[in-house]
Amino acid sequence: MEATQATPVKYDMEVVRWFTIAAAIYAVVGTLVGVYIALELAFPFLNFDIPYITFGRLRPLHTNAVIFAFGGCVLMATGFYMVQRTGATKLWSNGLAWFTFWAWNLIIVSAVVTLPLGFTSGKEYAELEWPIDIAIAVVWLSFGLNHLMTVAIRKTTHIYVSNWFTMGMIVMITYLHVVNSMAIPVSLTNSFSIYSGVQDAMIQWWWGHNAVGFYLTGGFLGIMYYFVPKQSGRPVFSYRLSVLHFWALTFGYVWLGAHHLQYTALPDWTGSLGAAVSLAMIIPSWGGAMNGMMTLSGAWDKLRTDYILRFLVVALAFYAMSTFEGPVMSIKSVNALSHYTDWTVGHVHSGALGWMAMVAYGAMYHMIKKLWGVEKMYSEGLVNVHFWLATIGTVVYIVAMWVSGIMQGLMWRDYDEYGTLTYTFVESVSAMHPYYAMRAVGGLIFHIGTLIALYNIVMTVSRAGATRAAGSVTAKA
Amino acid sequence: MGYLGMDVAAMTTNDWLGVFFALVSAIGMVVVYFMVFRPANKATFESQRSMALDDEDHINVGEKR
Repeated sequence: MEATQATPVKYDMEVVRWFTIAAAIYAVVGTLVGVYIALELAFPFLNFDIPYITFGRLRPLHTNAVIFAFGGCVLMATGFYMVQRTGATKLWSNGLAWFTFWAWNLIIVSAVVTLPLGFTSGKEYAELEWPIDIAIAVVWLSFGLNHLMTVAIRKTTHIYVSNWFTMGMIVMITYLHVVNSMAIPVSLTNSFSIYSGVQDAMIQWWWGHNAVGFYLTGGFLGIMYYFVPKQSGRPVFSYRLSVLHFWALTFGYVWLGAHHLQYTALPDWTGSLGAAVSLAMIIPSWGGAMNGMMTLSGAWDKLRTDYILRFLVVALAFYAMSTFEGPVMSIKSVNALSHYTDWTVGHVHSGALGWMAMVAYGAMYHMIKKLWGVEKMYSEGLVNVHFWLATIGTVVYIVAMWVSGIMQGLMWRDYDEYGTLTYTFVESVSAMHPYYAMRAVGGLIFHIGTLIALYNIVMTVSRAGATRAAGSVTAKA
Repeated sequence: MGYLGMDVAAMTTNDWLGVFFALVSAIGMVVVYFMVFRPANKATFESQRSMALDDEDHINVGEKR
């Protein structure tokens, strides 16, 4: 490491603390909305005929809350944390970081208001209307500029791989968000996409899959490459593999979106290309997962006592599983069965709950101890309880969706001897009921885990504050 | 072979841009593989393995709490 790092560096970490606390709160809110809409699907009377809480309006609120509120705050907290520590420098602009924090939260509030009111562009994972889209671009660029400039003023010669993942995410999400959100406004709350027909669908899934690829995967891989070594106290198993992992994802991910549109009006070759590159992506994805796992070589015993490390390792297991399942689902013959079914929902949640949320909580617990200068969380036991609730909740959720999804696919394609459909669509909906209830239970278990995490975090922070105050009084006396 | 056939005369600007970026990505990936797996570069890359661990000594969480 460079000699310059011998000098103590004072970091800008207050904004990181706020982003971390905000993330813990948004995880509770986002999963609560998720549980409620899962219950609405199982028990539709829960709509109560109130338009603001119907599934169609709350579902985008759930996805925006967990992806952009929870996930965004985690990415910005860890992004600012990692870039300072690995660069041995303060943020380029602390003021700009605070602007990012407050403006990002304002956008989240605007989503909470507009989505239940029914203001939506109708584009999945990009439902917010054009004025908010512009605000997102501005705030995202403020985060990106600050991160890139902090990299530029670093005191170290090398740019650590985590920062490469974050920078890749910043560049690609800017590009994807701006292109996908291009629209003709007709009023302050309504607009129409500038694309039409199959082009609109292609742009939508080019954005949709790359939001997964660069935001929920690339960004969180940056977290993994920093926090797994930190928490395990072991260097990265292979730095070369991490470099290859980054560039392979960066070059490859942009081609995958078309696999969401198999058997549609999209040219056939486009879907084949998406599937082919998807299958090719198993190699770097598994290479990266193995790299993370092997980082624990010589430290596997820590999993017995280090509950935070458990989050990070199980996240890697889910990452490996999801990045195998996704390419398999993109193959046309499998896609013919899986598409439009709950299998897709299960796949998304094995990534979102098992990978993204798990690695996020591992990083958050690690950061909280560092940021508030405490040796342990308020309750290490509660971290363990959270870990098991998160794991069990995720497994219950995805098993329910696998079973219901495959059952749906089989029922929809089943013909009798006269060539007519064996089941009506309503019969397939009815058959899903037990699995929809089971999914809600899985989500509820996961949600309870987020509540426990929030309680543990708040108690840790308040206890750290009380300790400091007591120390201050003692010093004055 | 018909499946992979290419009607060059019918290709639009967008098609050519797509071909260009596909080739750039493919060549870029080959270059990255070559750089990463070249034995001479191993020590340079792997010297950064412990970079995340090395920042422990100089943490000094700043600002008011």
